[in-house]
Amino acid sequence: MKYITKISLLALSISLSTGAKAENNQLNVYTWAESIDPVLIENFQKETGIEITLDSYTSNEYLLAKLKSGSSDYDVVFPSQHFVKIMIQEGLLKNIDAKNMAAFKQVDDKWKNKWWDKSSEYSIPFVYGTAGYTVNRDKYEGPANSWKEFFEPTGAAAGNIAVFSTPDEIIPAAQLYLGIDFCTEKRTDMKKVYQLLKKQKEYVAVYSSDNISSRISSGEVVMHNWWDGDSMRARKNNNAPIEYAQPKEGLVGWLDSMVVPKNSRNSDNAKTFINWMSEKDNATIEYNYYAHSSAVAIDESKAIHKKENSPEIFPTAFIKFTRACSPSAQKLVDKVWTQLLQ
Amino acid sequence: MKKLSWNFWGLLPAYLVMSLLMVLPLLIIFYVSFMTSDAYGGYKAIFSLQSYSQIFYTADWDDNLVLNFQYLKIIARTLFLSGATAVICLLVSFPVAYYISRQSNNMKTFLLYLVTLPFWVSMVVRVYACVLILSNDGVLESGLRFFGLIGDIDSLLYNNAAMMVGMVYTYIPLMILPIYASIEKLDTRLIEAASDLYSCRMNTLRSIILPLCKPGIVAGFILVLVPCLGTVLEPMLLGGGKTMMLGNLIQNQFGVARNWSFGASLTVLLLCIVLLFLMFQAHRTSKLRELS
Repeated sequence: MKYITKISLLALSISLSTGAKAENNQLNVYTWAESIDPVLIENFQKETGIEITLDSYTSNEYLLAKLKSGSSDYDVVFPSQHFVKIMIQEGLLKNIDAKNMAAFKQVDDKWKNKWWDKSSEYSIPFVYGTAGYTVNRDKYEGPANSWKEFFEPTGAAAGNIAVFSTPDEIIPAAQLYLGIDFCTEKRTDMKKVYQLLKKQKEYVAVYSSDNISSRISSGEVVMHNWWDGDSMRARKNNNAPIEYAQPKEGLVGWLDSMVVPKNSRNSDNAKTFINWMSEKDNATIEYNYYAHSSAVAIDESKAIHKKENSPEIFPTAFIKFTRACSPSAQKLVDKVWTQLLQ
Repeated sequence: MKKLSWNFWGLLPAYLVMSLLMVLPLLIIFYVSFMTSDAYGGYKAIFSLQSYSQIFYTADWDDNLVLNFQYLKIIARTLFLSGATAVICLLVSFPVAYYISRQSNNMKTFLLYLVTLPFWVSMVVRVYACVLILSNDGVLESGLRFFGLIGDIDSLLYNNAAMMVGMVYTYIPLMILPIYASIEKLDTRLIEAASDLYSCRMNTLRSIILPLCKPGIVAGFILVLVPCLGTVLEPMLLGGGKTMMLGNLIQNQFGVARNWSFGASLTVLLLCIVLLFLMFQAHRTSKLRELS
């Protein structure tokens, strides 16, 4: 009996130690769907011997819910600016001393020490862009230069509109259209937002943030909430007959940073990854693939998205970045959304 | 000390799994439902009944607490759609189960295998298949148009009917199998006797086959109804995320809406509804057992 115990203990310790060893080569990346070039993942694994497990999300809210539940095991995640602020506030992020990382030197000065991470301890800004809407030009000939067409659709668009499935970017868009401040705490203002969205709902085919590309490219819907770079990618790579609208009321701005969750078990690998992704060559490859503007330096001579062929990411419309709302403003946002989708 | 029997030791793993993975999480949910939710998800350990009162009363835009039917409406919709799904499943399943039970043994095995075949595929994939079939210019629409049966129509996708198609498709095996099992046990001599006594077919069905198959029908009904009550995928993918069912509402509270306590209280409510149905079933079977 004792002999067996000894052997099983030995087996256990071996399996634990090898498990720990394997752990060191692991990196769990949780990022926006289809956002990282698979070539980069492969190169990173080859160069560093670190094995990446990739998982993806399509809204900041889900990312926050995952991290908040405490059951996640991610090492690098890519929240937008206002969620970086919330996550720092909620103690969900690891202090990685970002300002002293190699990656930080690559970051464009205009994105350093911003309000969401004033002393740059937690986050490395990575990509930025806008949220707006895309129209299918085969099915829709009307104008696309105002949020009016999207929120109060007529003609071919009525009944064939698709809207993001979470309020994070659609409520700011409605606020832009109505001339209301982001994160307002005024109930009367939010009631107007609710009424606008409620009226729009009659013309909405689907609320979804997944599979946007196929839905708008195929013409299944004629207008779809979308992000600038994703829309451009579908237009350039798949020749989709689509156009990213430039609403005169403004576009909703976002900036995704690389951060490390507090309970990450491979934070050294995470830092290696963040530094590696921010190297000029890799950032350029990522820029060409993801098609969103890069917050870290890229090699302009190798960039394929230039100002003259990329109206999506060089918008003429003005951009207003979303903010982190106060709890009472957030409650109003949640209220609008719950009532809307009841 | 009395030596614990094999019954105890044999069942110990099951007890452990059940208490760790079912009872404990349920207790946590029960606990959270009586707490105050935190603004950014999570909860604060302050006792509050707010999450339960929220089911009936919500603050309107002027901050007055008013009786609000929005959540009750979702609950009613959930009950209605689930009930309707179960009824449709029953109507479709009964002839299928009856047909299968009248085949040769080999054929039976094969047909039952076909019925269970969809279970080998992930549910997400199955629901997506429905999306492909129902979508604009999808298999169904282009097929019907090819035969000139329809003209220009609105999308078949993204409405309550599409949701029900998905739910019926997903859960129908759960109805066919128990009904089949009870038809299998049916003594065919009773049917022969009925026809000998000049009972017409309808009458045989009504007064002999249906009453004898009742346990299977009830079991199938409950097996379909219960998972339908908690369904999340179909409203999201086939309903277009526009109309919620209880499952989506709960998911939202733990996700986007970040109101864990409310999500927990809704979960408790859903659980109560499910328990009611299961208790009804348990009560019935125990009564049957007493009779026999």
